[in-house]
Amino acid sequence: MASVREVIVRSGAIAASRERLDIFDMPKPRSTARNNSRLIIRVVASIAFIAAATFILFRLVPVNPTTAGFLYLVAILLVATKGGLVESTIASVVAMLCFNFFFLPPIGTLTIADPQNWVALFAFLATSLTASQLSARVKRRALEAEERSREVERLYALSRALLLIDTSKSVANQIVQQIALTCEVPGVALYVKGTGELYQAGYTTLDVEARLRESAVRSAVLKDDAANLVITPIRLGGEPIGSLGLSGSAFSDAALESLLNLVAIGLERANSQKAVTQAEVAKQSEELKSTLLDAIAHEFKTPLTSIKAVTTDLLSGSSGTLEAHQQELITIADESTDRLSKLVTDAIQLARIEGGTFRLNLGVYFSSSLINTALRQMKSVIEERKINLNTSDDLPPVRVDAELIQIVLTHLLDNALKYSPPDNPITIGARLGEGGGKVIVYLADKGQGITVQEQAQIFEKFYRGKSERHLQGTGMGLAIAREILRAHGEDIAVSSSPGQGSEFSFALPIAPWGSRQ
Amino acid sequence: MSAGKILVIDDDPQIRRVMRSTLTAHGYQVNDTRSGEEGLEELRKSSYDLVLLDMNMPGMGGMETCRTIRSGSDIAIIMLTVNNTERQKVDALDAGADDYVTKPFSTPELLARIRASLRRLPQLPGYADLQPLAAQGVNIDLSSRKVTVHGRASRLTAREFGLLTYFLARPNKTIAHRELLQAVWGPDYGDELEYLRVFVNRLRKKIEPDPSKPVFLVTDAWAGYRFHLSQ
Repeated sequence: MASVREVIVRSGAIAASRERLDIFDMPKPRSTARNNSRLIIRVVASIAFIAAATFILFRLVPVNPTTAGFLYLVAILLVATKGGLVESTIASVVAMLCFNFFFLPPIGTLTIADPQNWVALFAFLATSLTASQLSARVKRRALEAEERSREVERLYALSRALLLIDTSKSVANQIVQQIALTCEVPGVALYVKGTGELYQAGYTTLDVEARLRESAVRSAVLKDDAANLVITPIRLGGEPIGSLGLSGSAFSDAALESLLNLVAIGLERANSQKAVTQAEVAKQSEELKSTLLDAIAHEFKTPLTSIKAVTTDLLSGSSGTLEAHQQELITIADESTDRLSKLVTDAIQLARIEGGTFRLNLGVYFSSSLINTALRQMKSVIEERKINLNTSDDLPPVRVDAELIQIVLTHLLDNALKYSPPDNPITIGARLGEGGGKVIVYLADKGQGITVQEQAQIFEKFYRGKSERHLQGTGMGLAIAREILRAHGEDIAVSSSPGQGSEFSFALPIAPWGSRQ
Repeated sequence: MSAGKILVIDDDPQIRRVMRSTLTAHGYQVNDTRSGEEGLEELRKSSYDLVLLDMNMPGMGGMETCRTIRSGSDIAIIMLTVNNTERQKVDALDAGADDYVTKPFSTPELLARIRASLRRLPQLPGYADLQPLAAQGVNIDLSSRKVTVHGRASRLTAREFGLLTYFLARPNKTIAHRELLQAVWGPDYGDELEYLRVFVNRLRKKIEPDPSKPVFLVTDAWAGYRFHLSQ
């Protein structure tokens, strides 16, 4: 008996690890040679039984031929009940010969004097053979029924074991161990297509990796009768998700099908539990990040609020007129507060967007109203600038997160205000994209323009235009704008020629009709 | 004479110091507390004209404090928020605030908001002639600001009352968002559409028999709101 079972887990073609598992007993498969010798013993025993019956009927309790015939039939039925078809058939022929030799005249020869006894002899042979066959068939069916019952018990045990699987450990590994244990097969190999990993259990190591892959890819059953091996694909919803190799198994097709279904369900259950756990962890981490960012924003902005309240109050003149240099100093403090406040707002925005702690709150809006709202938000800083507005209410509405798109527009406006001379106009507008599936929003300035080399860099975090480093800015606006548009499945483009100005543009998806907000 | 009595509820001592100093200098009588719980206690003891309420506070928090104050009083409430997302603003207004200011704010801006909240409602044209409304089981008594819908009585806050009287003086006429904001909130307002959304909803909850299917305060899409009265 094998006492130690080895489990080999391999990833891809490389043997990754080899570990010894719990010791447990497992039956070896029945060998063909042993079966043959058992059959010979049973045949010899059945012949001896007929010989013994003959001795009793001929020597100890002499009976007439008719009684002898019936008693032989009883003996054959006994042999057929205990043994198989081979033993009972041989016993029938031997009994027919003994019946002829010892009981039908002329006694002591294998010839028959009375032709009527030929009929009796053949009737005896036919009856005994038929009885043997019927008896053997009943016995075979009983064995089959017993086998099916055992299969059902094993499958039930396996299904219970799979339900109790510990999902914190490798599920596929536990599945092969359970199959080897409950189904009493010498070798089990499981290939999981999704991860490309191979798991084995049992005392027989199967060299079947290539065939398992083939079975999973082609969704085909592969049989190797010489090695008593069957490899079958594991399907879920018609799609192969892996394959299972069993050696020396005596499973019926129906039982094998049920086994494969159990394995498929077990693997899928583990996958969905893993997905749920991952989603839960991601959600908790998202909530934690969001809370942290809120706390950081609060901590930074609270002292800024005190400073801002003081500087603006002093500058408003309500506390008395300030000297010119006092006015200048307080103005510097006030502007620095604004700068610091914007830096905090931008940094938190970028962290929130990059950290994935925001969800798109999609609604249906007209591009003109998005642009107008952004312009209203920037009212105080664009008051003295000339803004050309090219929007039309005839454009179809778009499906976006309005608040985020307004952040994009305010960053682009802020950018255009900073990087173009105060007298040059800024153009902002929207038009229908090519193909009509998108609305293109654009913002153009008449600034110095951006070189081709810089165009690739301006969307990177903290990048500041080389020629304009003296300007105040956080270097995060365009990075934030791009991340927001990417969250919408879109991107931002820039076209510019030095000295002529720059145009930033992005597409927004048109909303399906009938869902206006 | 004081311009009004203000209670500042904020957990940050520096902000309380600045507010006390600045608002006192502008003629207001100021008191402050450092938590929502203390604020509620103070409001029970003395009467105030306006509450400046911080949204992020340990303990009870600004939102919950606002709801609790509003459940028993129609005092003016201005919320101070760090987050200027639309959702936070709407949440603050929904909790019963009359206005909000985003931190960091400038003192002149805060003073303007305070003045707007304390401002006595303008004598609207025809206001004196408005008759108590009684239609479809709804009774609106303008002198006591009391509304009864099918026997269920509620009181309007000053802002809700201002909005309703503006509508009542112009029945069956679509009033644009900007016009409403400037008439009821003040000339500095005009773009704060979320105020209108929240206050119109609050009014609907008080005066409509079924707020989800308004019969009086109807929305004219993209244009404004209209007070529907059967001729």
